[in-house]
Amino acid sequence: MSVELDEPVRERRSEFLPALFRFQSLFGLVLVFVAAVLYSPHKNGQLLFLDSGNLFNVVRSISEIGILAVGMTLVILIGAIDLSVGAVLGLASVGTAALLVRDGLGVVPVVVIVLAIGLGFGLLQGVAIATFGIQAFIVTLAGMQIARGLARIWSGGQAIGITYGDRPGQAPVAFSLLGERTFGGLVPIPALIFIVVAALAVVLLRVSAFSRHVYAIGGNEKAARLSGVPVTRVKIAVFGICGLLAALAGIVHAGRLNFGGPNDGGGYELDAIAAVVIGGTSLTGGRGSVAGTVAGALLVGVLRNILALRNVDANIQLLVIGLVIVLAAGLQQLRPASVS
Amino acid sequence: MSETAVPLVEMIGVSKSFGGVRAVAGADFTVREGEVHALLGENGAGKSTLMKVLSGEVGGYRGEIRIGGEPVRFTSPADAQRAGVAMIHQELDLVPALSVAENVFLGREPKTAFGTVDRRRVVTETAALLERTGVTLDPRRPVEHLRTGEQQLVTIVKALSLDARILVMDEPTSALSVHEVERLFTVIGGLRRAGAGIVYISHRMEEIGRVADRATVLRNGRVVAEFDARAMTAAQASEAMVGRPVHLMFRGTGTATGEELLRVENLAVRRPRPGLRDPAGVTLSVAEGEIVGLAGLLGSGRTELLETLFGVGAKGPWQGRVLLRGSRIRPRGPRHALKLGIAFVPEDRRIAGLALEHSVLANTVLSIVDRIARLGLVSRRAERNAARETTERLGVKLASLSGPVGSLSGGNQQKVVLGRNLLTEPRLLLLDEPTRGVDVGAKAEIYRLLGEAAARGLGVLLASSEPAELVGVCHRVVVLRDGRGMHELNTAEVSEADLLAASMGEGAVPGLTVGGA
Repeated sequence: MSVELDEPVRERRSEFLPALFRFQSLFGLVLVFVAAVLYSPHKNGQLLFLDSGNLFNVVRSISEIGILAVGMTLVILIGAIDLSVGAVLGLASVGTAALLVRDGLGVVPVVVIVLAIGLGFGLLQGVAIATFGIQAFIVTLAGMQIARGLARIWSGGQAIGITYGDRPGQAPVAFSLLGERTFGGLVPIPALIFIVVAALAVVLLRVSAFSRHVYAIGGNEKAARLSGVPVTRVKIAVFGICGLLAALAGIVHAGRLNFGGPNDGGGYELDAIAAVVIGGTSLTGGRGSVAGTVAGALLVGVLRNILALRNVDANIQLLVIGLVIVLAAGLQQLRPASVS
Repeated sequence: MSETAVPLVEMIGVSKSFGGVRAVAGADFTVREGEVHALLGENGAGKSTLMKVLSGEVGGYRGEIRIGGEPVRFTSPADAQRAGVAMIHQELDLVPALSVAENVFLGREPKTAFGTVDRRRVVTETAALLERTGVTLDPRRPVEHLRTGEQQLVTIVKALSLDARILVMDEPTSALSVHEVERLFTVIGGLRRAGAGIVYISHRMEEIGRVADRATVLRNGRVVAEFDARAMTAAQASEAMVGRPVHLMFRGTGTATGEELLRVENLAVRRPRPGLRDPAGVTLSVAEGEIVGLAGLLGSGRTELLETLFGVGAKGPWQGRVLLRGSRIRPRGPRHALKLGIAFVPEDRRIAGLALEHSVLANTVLSIVDRIARLGLVSRRAERNAARETTERLGVKLASLSGPVGSLSGGNQQKVVLGRNLLTEPRLLLLDEPTRGVDVGAKAEIYRLLGEAAARGLGVLLASSEPAELVGVCHRVVVLRDGRGMHELNTAEVSEADLLAASMGEGAVPGLTVGGA
């Protein structure tokens, strides 16, 4: 039943393995990266993959999924799931475009309103789940339909294009920033936003009392409650954060593509879940990290990028990504229980 | 009784060890036709193991079993069932969504000519079985809509449909209402008249006197006494079960206790459909520095009383009142209770106490992370220091604070739960079976820690099903039955046997005072 830990031999021998499992997505990322370097096509003696522009394109390509995946990590850490994030992203992108173009609001009010919508949507789902005890899968499945419906009603079923300028019906030029690059035209703004969100989440998940409560709920909800963890409040907050980040991803989406699409973001929730799983977070909750998720999202991004650079058929890409997900989940099954 | 007839079951010199531990040591046990044979003993006395050997669930035993005079050696429960032996477990093995009839014929449904399940026959045959057993139930009703007692009857009918002649019932009344118990006894009476042999495991002395013919007492895996069940007294039986002079495992926290800390007056929880075990009129008090025990059988409401005091009990209006240091309280939940200075060590640490995969550190400081945090941020050093100090003070044996708590031994796990609660600096500590599944050494250490905590002025309310523990550790013991406080005993004046007898409802015990004042 119980294993005593005071066997020094056993301790020393098992030091490498836990490290490998704990940072599985990081090891995976390094592996995929090395493979990408080896298989990268050449141009003028240069490796196309290692071109700094290309590398930041990789980060940009995963920025929306990455932002969603950070929120999804929190949700999965408490042992729940949020299927609504893709639809909330769509709703937020429509909201952004509509408020900028149709209502002529400034950038700051638009961002505040759209983030508040995402936050409120997430909090309401959290209340349904934590206070009324309905399963997260069901609540967020319904939330997905509702957000999608709202997006279509708000947009009238059509994508809302964003043009920039000072005239009525045009968005402030400041908003076009999202389509640009900074640091000497090197780092795309969406990538920067993702990096900031991820860094904040990594740090907060290490040092905040809130994160201790999140892990405890995922590890053993009953024990957490009896230990005085405000389980209901923490759960509601986690869904609120997830909704907020989905709205942020929606704003980035609208800014990057210059329109708000009511049908956009469909299936993004599954890509986000995939990044979390590849990142080594346990779907039963209590184990995992945002750092893993970031590595997981990057791993998928690098893989897609190198396959695209080698002109591999898009359908084959799907197969490869699918196999990687199964492999990551399989590794989790092998993971010894002692690795947290 | 006709001694000449061949008994239905003969177990001769049966021994069974798990690892190095002898669970059953050379036990003889017989069941005759038309007999109800009660099997008694403390937890861990070997009752369940002996019966699992008989029902084929446990193999690798020494000794001999004969069914109707024929030597047998079962290798699986199915094997035993073919020989007519069926065991009815405390946890009922039924599929909730299926009907009574479907459950009875699960896995051996009669087929029609087309190979589909002959639903009509399933229902009519179940109806016939129910009628023969004297049970009035609609065979088409889903099992999940039945009450626990009715579900129990379904498992009995299922066993009978397998032509069982020997039924082993493991604490069949532990979750039944008085009315349901009566119904079960009627059914048992019918089975006895039909010539079945029944083994009846129970802690409730008054039931055994009513339903059983003979009673065998096991202690440490050995048969130590056999009684005529109708003539046996609870005092006799508990003496045989405990079997040794009372051991003072721990005594000497000093009798000097401080001011009254907790006062519970006629506490009862009312809800639309009252559960059997909700507090239904409990009065007790705990002084600073005092350890008060809560005794009572399974289902007497000990756990529910503690949960109510911690704010996690049944929802519903309270009757009576609870005072903590003179002011009236009603905890809304664990967080509120902890704020009031009430801490709780739950019954099953693996289910309700610990996140087993998480580190010792995380589990130890969980209750105070938001207290040691500044602006919501936790200093890793503060966290580690608090955990190290606590685990050292409690003598938790561990390789590393970052190792998973699930890899510690049961006793050390329990110390982590205790340490987490003590870190909240409570005034009142509620403990539910704190030494279950803990080895003797760790047990003694936990008693020592409780004594130390009490010496610092903490009030302790300790629920336990071990009479030795209650007598040895507590200053006073309150005995609960059916959610009510029945007696209050001064442990300096009573023995374990007295306590057991009081739990079972035999009133005439020296040193007893009827509680409720």
